[in-house]
Amino acid sequence: MNAIYSNPIPVRGWSIPLVPFALGCIALFALPAHGEQIGGTNDGLLERSLRFLSLSDGSVRMVVMGTLLMGFGCGIMGGHIVTRRLSLFGDTLSHAVLPGVAVGFLWSQSKDSWAILIGATLAGFLGVALISMIRKTTRIRQDSALGLVLSGFYAFGICMLTRIQKMEFGNQSGIDKYLFGQVVGLSESDLWTMLLSCALILLLTVFLYKEMLVTGFDSDFARSIGLPVEFLQYLLWLLLAFSVITSLQVVGVVLVSALLVIPAATASLMTEKMDRLLFCSALLGCAAGVIGSFISFLGSHLPTGPLIVLVSAAFFLVTLLFHPRTGLLPQWLSSRDRDRRILRENTLKAAYQELEAMDFKQEIVPVSQLASRRRISMPQAYREVESLVTKKFVTIHSPPGDASPSLQPVMLSLTPKGWETACRIVRNHRLWELYLTNEARYAPDHVHEDAEKIEHVLGEETVRRIERILSNPRRDPHGKLIPSQQDIERGFVA
Amino acid sequence: MKEPFIRDFDPIDTFVTPWATAADAAWNGQIVLMGFLVCLSCGLVGAFIVVRRLALMGDAISHGILPGLALAFIVMQSRALLPMFFGACIAGLLCSACIEWLQRKSILKPDAALGLTFTSFFALGVLLISLHGSNAHIDPDCLLYGEIGLIPLAENLSIAGFEIGSRPLISMLAITILVILALTIFYRQLLVSSFDLTLAKTLGLRINLIHFGLMLLLALTIVSAFEAVGVILVVSMLIFPSVTAAFFFTRMPAILLCSIPLSVIYSFGGFFLARWLDCSIAGAMVLVAFLCFVCAWVIGSQGGLLQRAPYLRRAVAES
Amino acid sequence: MTDAPSPLEIHDLTVSYQRKPVLYGIDLVVGEGSLVGVIGPNGGGKSTLIKSIMGMIPHNGGWVKIFGKPPGKSCSRVGYVPQRESVDWDFPVSVLDVVLMGRYNHAGWFRRLGKKDRRIACECLEKVNMLPFADRQIGKLSGGQQQRVFLARALAQESDLYLMDEPFAGVDAVTEKAIIEVLRELKSQGKSLVVVHHDLSTAREYFDQLVLLNMRLIAVGKVEDTFTRDLLQKTYGGRLTIFTEVADQSAGIREYDKERRSVSSME
Repeated sequence: MNAIYSNPIPVRGWSIPLVPFALGCIALFALPAHGEQIGGTNDGLLERSLRFLSLSDGSVRMVVMGTLLMGFGCGIMGGHIVTRRLSLFGDTLSHAVLPGVAVGFLWSQSKDSWAILIGATLAGFLGVALISMIRKTTRIRQDSALGLVLSGFYAFGICMLTRIQKMEFGNQSGIDKYLFGQVVGLSESDLWTMLLSCALILLLTVFLYKEMLVTGFDSDFARSIGLPVEFLQYLLWLLLAFSVITSLQVVGVVLVSALLVIPAATASLMTEKMDRLLFCSALLGCAAGVIGSFISFLGSHLPTGPLIVLVSAAFFLVTLLFHPRTGLLPQWLSSRDRDRRILRENTLKAAYQELEAMDFKQEIVPVSQLASRRRISMPQAYREVESLVTKKFVTIHSPPGDASPSLQPVMLSLTPKGWETACRIVRNHRLWELYLTNEARYAPDHVHEDAEKIEHVLGEETVRRIERILSNPRRDPHGKLIPSQQDIERGFVA
Repeated sequence: MKEPFIRDFDPIDTFVTPWATAADAAWNGQIVLMGFLVCLSCGLVGAFIVVRRLALMGDAISHGILPGLALAFIVMQSRALLPMFFGACIAGLLCSACIEWLQRKSILKPDAALGLTFTSFFALGVLLISLHGSNAHIDPDCLLYGEIGLIPLAENLSIAGFEIGSRPLISMLAITILVILALTIFYRQLLVSSFDLTLAKTLGLRINLIHFGLMLLLALTIVSAFEAVGVILVVSMLIFPSVTAAFFFTRMPAILLCSIPLSVIYSFGGFFLARWLDCSIAGAMVLVAFLCFVCAWVIGSQGGLLQRAPYLRRAVAES
Repeated sequence: MTDAPSPLEIHDLTVSYQRKPVLYGIDLVVGEGSLVGVIGPNGGGKSTLIKSIMGMIPHNGGWVKIFGKPPGKSCSRVGYVPQRESVDWDFPVSVLDVVLMGRYNHAGWFRRLGKKDRRIACECLEKVNMLPFADRQIGKLSGGQQQRVFLARALAQESDLYLMDEPFAGVDAVTEKAIIEVLRELKSQGKSLVVVHHDLSTAREYFDQLVLLNMRLIAVGKVEDTFTRDLLQKTYGGRLTIFTEVADQSAGIREYDKERRSVSSME
């Protein structure tokens, strides 16, 4: 109960990773840097790794800082976007801001980060406004509206950019690097815009957490308690635009939406709580950023942007396959285990029924009888018996009077463990049949199929309740004995 | 800074000079023809894509073809036609298969699965090109917005010793004919399965096959068009024509036929606009498409803004 | 006799959607401590009435007053339980998170919720028998369980006027009984409840006042006065068969209830 009373996001909990992060940022900016050139081509792999990890290189610091900030900002924004099913809006926005980038560049006549940020934000808002106008006044569907604005604005941006490239000052601008990103072109003012964007996103997440939660989950209710839902929505768009625009330099137009979607999608596989999702998403984004830039630093001709995306995609694949709760592999393994358990239990049940048919006078069952009761072939029966032997549910015997034991066992008897399981399954089956017949008024000939499935999943507590309701019955609808707890504990007594 | 950003409009230079000499006319004619074919084939396929709400799947496939292209270039060390087509189609179809698999098997929402997959594919493609692209002379920028102006420069295709024309143009022509044939033959199946899936099932149509066929057609169209307009602008050519036509017509045959005049407008308009502004031709074509869309949005007879004016005021007030 | 304003007062409310009238000329006064059911055919404007009271749908005629003030000004005194369609069930929130949303008004902007809020939320969950599910993600519950959580959220708001849009839709018999118990308790505490209801057969039993609505107000008043053959015919379009079917159902439902109770008590 105490757990319920504790806070969902303890402020202390958030500060723990944030403080070293902030200190690290300050350290990166404050400590002196070497002015070395990257690309000393004679360095081996180890030397390059050390040079990167020691963060002594000024340009390396810029890159690490930039990718960290980008991963952080896009990770958190991505968490908000993906949970509200707006993943493709992120993609649309990243294409739609392009004309704004061009306008910002034209206005400032240079690659001024602040002008570009303002211009691109305006373009982004125009795009979002256009999408909502299209949705409101036409029958055009959401995906088509997104595609229209995405490609239309992008085309406008391309026209302007190609025009700028042909103008006199244009082709030295590096403006075309926004398409694919070029992380070494990061300037200090770029980093400042990224820092501002991340700070705003963090403020929103910490101080407006519950407002964001309720508007994302149930906007009608949010409106009813007086929250300005539209304003909060626009705030979200604004911060999304900031994180998109500041990331364009690093990864380029197309891949920005990758960084918005992939870390958050991975986090959504890991947790069902919003605060943990945001945290994991930011962490994954940062990790992908740093690892990606590390790998690209090690090699030559390795572009940073795609590597960051591929690293985060790798994280996603690993989580998708191996996560203990939602991973595909654990699920497959557990369903395979369950199928095997059911098979074993069915075989044990058949053995019990054979023993019952002989009035429990004998404790040995021939495998051939088992096969005929289960309506399976002998080889299949042998396989089932072998798996039972491995799990110590039965022991095998050769038929009496056989001097040389044959290769195939032909008789089996239940171990105490096997007896207990067999009784339990038979009890579940017959109890359930009785319950259906008496309490739910099923016809007696309709209950068998259902009981065949239920017998494997009936929990002990439910069994107790059913026994109480039926007043501890001894016989099932077909007159057969229902094994009681004493029968099970007593073990097989001939 | 001597040049203005938007150049002065010179009608002669824009409209007349391209056709002045025979050589120029042939050159520019090819460009316009390529544009027309791209718009037409994409518009026809796109009509069904839009109606099935697969517009962003088209976006995804157009990005997803990149690793296939890159591999084809790297392996063949040239821009040969067949390997490129093959590689790109396989990659595109693989991308859409992955998306559909993720949407079914994982707890991810459909839009997240889409956004995740195609960007990863694209990243892989960019990485491959950066590693080995210099050998195949691929300009990454070309992938994003095409270089339709260089189409006439591409190597000529020759069959039985006859040179019939530049390779991208001929392949685009072939694809366009294929699209027209496929849509004509399978029109009814496509129509029913697009509008009423349940009815299609009860009629015994093989829905999965139809879907796969459409995806294949889409991939082929995208692959042949991307050289001209790039992977992102292909998406606009898929969506704009049918959406624009829907403001005037309500029946599918009319919408499909409307692609023809629209393609003419887009290709000629884009060409002239690019001549005036001196910018990317593909971008200009999409700009023209956007302008047509806005005009149709305002004046359209089937739900255009002017037609709904009294409602419009109320809708704006309500929002 | 106090001069306090009524919890809800509607005068000549008219709502239209793209030139088509959906509600017109609605007059209604709801007093304290009343449990009012709104019934009528589908498309008759029941949900629209609730939404326009809340101010979510603009109206083009008449006015609405909640405790004497226009709707926007008395948010904290109104608890709204919407239909379950506007909710994103995959959102990563737990049952407790959802109930805590009812406390946001009391907490104010920028501030975290405190221990008192969590205690109240847990108590509300306890009232609807959903406390064991507090940590479960909201999408992983059955329809009836989800409806109970939304009711707990409304309770946590500690409002004086409750507007509920089809709270009984799609819920099982046990949940329905639980919900009506909670509503009756709220009424005995002096709260006012206006509930859109879809099931004629239980309308007479659950509410003490009824509003018969089919785009216009057919009748409003005590159940005995309004739940008559003539008025129901007028509301539902004058089909005799509907009423006789309902009457048969009402008679039969008492038998069916006894049986259902014995099965459901096992859960």
